[in-house]
Amino acid sequence: MPTVTDALGGRLTDALGAQRRRVREFVDETEPPALAIISAMTLSLLATLVGFLAVSDLTIAPFVVFLTAAGIGWFRYQEETAYTIALMMTVSTILILGLIIVFIFRESVPVIRYESATAFGITVPGLRMFIQPNWDAVSPPIRYSMVPMIHGTVMVTLIASAVAAPLGVSAALFLSEIAPATVREVVKPGVEILAGIPSIVYGFIGFTVLGPWASDQFQTTGQGSYLFVGIVVGLMALPTVVSVAEDALSSVPESMKSGSLAMGTTDWQTMTSITLPAAFSGVSAAVLLGVGRAIGETMAATVMLRGVPRLTEPLVNVFYGQETLTSLIARNYGEADGLQMDALFVAGVILFVTVLVISIGAQYIEWRMHNRLGGEV
Amino acid sequence: MADASQTDARLVESETTETDAVAGVAVGLSAVLFALAVAALFERVSLTGSLFGIRTVTLLGGLLTALGVAVVAFGAGSRLGYVETDPDPSAGLVAGFGAAVPWVVVGGSAASQTLGLGTTVGVLAGTAVGGGAFALTVLPREDVGSTLPLGSLLALTGLVFLTGVIGPTWVWELDWAQQAALTAEFLIPAATLFSALYGGWASAKAYGGFGARGRHMGAYVLVYLNALSIVAFLFVLVAFVVVQGVPGLLNGVEIGLGTGPQTTVLGVSVTLPVSVPFVMNGVALFNDFQGVLPAIVGTVWLVLGAVVLAVPLGVGAALFLTEYADRGRFTQVVEIATNGLWSTPSIVFGLFGFAFLIPRFGNGKSLLSGMITLGFMLLPLVVITSREAMLSVPDEYRDASAALGVSKWQTIRSVVLPAALPGVVTGVILGVGRIAGETAPILLTMAGGTFVPGSQTVDVLGSFQFTSAPPFVANPALLEATSALPYQLYALISAGVGASSNVGNADEFRWATALVLLVVVLSFYAIGIATRYYFRRRLTHT
Repeated sequence: MPTVTDALGGRLTDALGAQRRRVREFVDETEPPALAIISAMTLSLLATLVGFLAVSDLTIAPFVVFLTAAGIGWFRYQEETAYTIALMMTVSTILILGLIIVFIFRESVPVIRYESATAFGITVPGLRMFIQPNWDAVSPPIRYSMVPMIHGTVMVTLIASAVAAPLGVSAALFLSEIAPATVREVVKPGVEILAGIPSIVYGFIGFTVLGPWASDQFQTTGQGSYLFVGIVVGLMALPTVVSVAEDALSSVPESMKSGSLAMGTTDWQTMTSITLPAAFSGVSAAVLLGVGRAIGETMAATVMLRGVPRLTEPLVNVFYGQETLTSLIARNYGEADGLQMDALFVAGVILFVTVLVISIGAQYIEWRMHNRLGGEV
Repeated sequence: MADASQTDARLVESETTETDAVAGVAVGLSAVLFALAVAALFERVSLTGSLFGIRTVTLLGGLLTALGVAVVAFGAGSRLGYVETDPDPSAGLVAGFGAAVPWVVVGGSAASQTLGLGTTVGVLAGTAVGGGAFALTVLPREDVGSTLPLGSLLALTGLVFLTGVIGPTWVWELDWAQQAALTAEFLIPAATLFSALYGGWASAKAYGGFGARGRHMGAYVLVYLNALSIVAFLFVLVAFVVVQGVPGLLNGVEIGLGTGPQTTVLGVSVTLPVSVPFVMNGVALFNDFQGVLPAIVGTVWLVLGAVVLAVPLGVGAALFLTEYADRGRFTQVVEIATNGLWSTPSIVFGLFGFAFLIPRFGNGKSLLSGMITLGFMLLPLVVITSREAMLSVPDEYRDASAALGVSKWQTIRSVVLPAALPGVVTGVILGVGRIAGETAPILLTMAGGTFVPGSQTVDVLGSFQFTSAPPFVANPALLEATSALPYQLYALISAGVGASSNVGNADEFRWATALVLLVVVLSFYAIGIATRYYFRRRLTHT
């Protein structure tokens, strides 16, 4: 154990040292006035950020200083100013993700405290949201359980994946391996446009056309079913699966495919025994990203579901659709305040963490595939 | 790949024979059944009625039986040597599972429901029947394995329909706490649909003479069908919205000089020669025709604001990542953060805007909060596409510029950015198309009002004012709740029938709103895709 910490400590000191050396080099190489401008820009922007976070009316002052410094820098020392601004913009992407994490977690803390439960003699905050299925924001006992919504999201996501994964991978195969150039020029923009149709339009069609039809076909009371929300959401996740899977399939080196074809195989044999296995991790990353899209899909679910946070009976009853994590937020933000609003943030945290884990997992899988195929990037 | 490697099979193929023709007819029959099933599913063909003088269910059953018999006959003929084919020793595990799944369903539901033996027996029977189908597919030679189980499935389904065991009035009550039932209206088309897919697959394999070529055929039929269905689905969807929306959109349209409202173009007051009240009016008590102008203007400002925020940030970040930074921990973290932002659900952005932006901009929903929230959503898209565009600029360009002795920034400014511009522009336009239709983030941060009066159309440029207290600049228009097209549509849907009184025909109004939204979003896509083609052609021609 000590060797590990030592090695880690050593690497950290090394990295810090290298960083310090680079900063010193940069300071040595840069002219003093340019350095002053850069420091002024950095400091004033930091002050702006702090002022903004503190909800101060004076935030405008450091921001004006930043703009002035950047303006002067642009005319006198464009090289250094451009570098600094680009660096700041890069940092901002990380900053935004960080802010999202901090703010949605912070808002969800009170209800997590409220919903503490004791298991094996230990009080675990937030546990009661996951061990009983009762959501009641009006009459005591007031309970904010996430179980019905998690059930809904799981049902919708399962059905959506069953639709999007096979159709999406097959369409990606078609686009990258099978289609003649002219056909591809038609189908590919078609898939892109499918991604562009706003989710509320899907929801509207689902609500006015699919909903009544399904309730008639399955003789259910009222309309709104996980089955059809799942199918619609699956169609909406389809373009994501297609475009990512297509990228993965076309990144398989042409030489591998040609080698196989030279053995006298059919195109289909080459696809199943060479292209698909080689791109397998990329294709599964595509499916994962599609699943992430399906989990986060909001408006179609909000419009098509019943909006009653309870479990379906029995649990596999896909012909009834109650509520998902996303639709809970979209439906209740208006009248919610206090603990109920915080409970919506808990739903947001669950969504955010799940999808972030999926996204990182998909990136890891893609990265490994590129490494194995020896490609760049 | 498609052009380079299409194997030319004509060399080994003999000319068309009668047996090929039979298999070809079977493929065609599957296509007809598929189309009929889709039509019946959406009630274009009535199940209780008749087609070509025959009752629909009888017709479907007859066609299915014929298809099943043809498939089995082809397999048997091939096995007995009447038909010249080239089968493998086994149909393979994939085909085995493909055949097992429907047989499990059929066996299970027949035992548990039709014979009434209960769930346990049903599961056992399903497993047994499915296992039998699996063995029958995998164990014999391919020509039998890939036809017999599927062909008999088709024939069985057909016979069930023909004999009226499942007729047009058949219902299976599921006996669940929340009542639901499987009706013939759904089951017959759905069963026909899947049977047609299986039939098409099996007969396409037969048409290819089994073996590697047969599987190639079978798979291609399904893959082509899938691609075709996706495109058809897109067309149906768009056409449906257009057909439903046009009446509402064209309500009270007038064409002719002096009919339209007055606007100011470049300082000159012009009277438009057309009047389309739906997109030129708000909602007011004394309007002849109500419209959604405030929502359209709101969407335009929203998108503009998001672009102004996200594009410089995104392009700058992409620039830093591709041109300045060495690949290392830092770039990796940025990449993970960008991709994480890209996949973050839109409603989470909304929550974030609600918790972070609203307290900082006047404690209420505002256009500005909406702009910033959507800008944050657009940012990762801009970073990813700009990065791709910059990476595809050849290194030779950079080297040539550096060899002239100019600084790095000058290289970036006069070589890399211009070369990457087409890609960046295309990416931004497509990204804008995506966020223009987003409802969830603006739901919590910006939108208000179901029917917005025309007088509330935002005027951002006209309402800048200077104040004596910090922050010295104020713009009330930016700090007010505003409507946007996607939100308007959501509000119209959730307001239900009760709100219809102020707009006359509420249904028409909704569909017209959906159409306008679709047109706005899809025109961004059309422009983006057209730009890409334009630049690509220019690049390849010079």
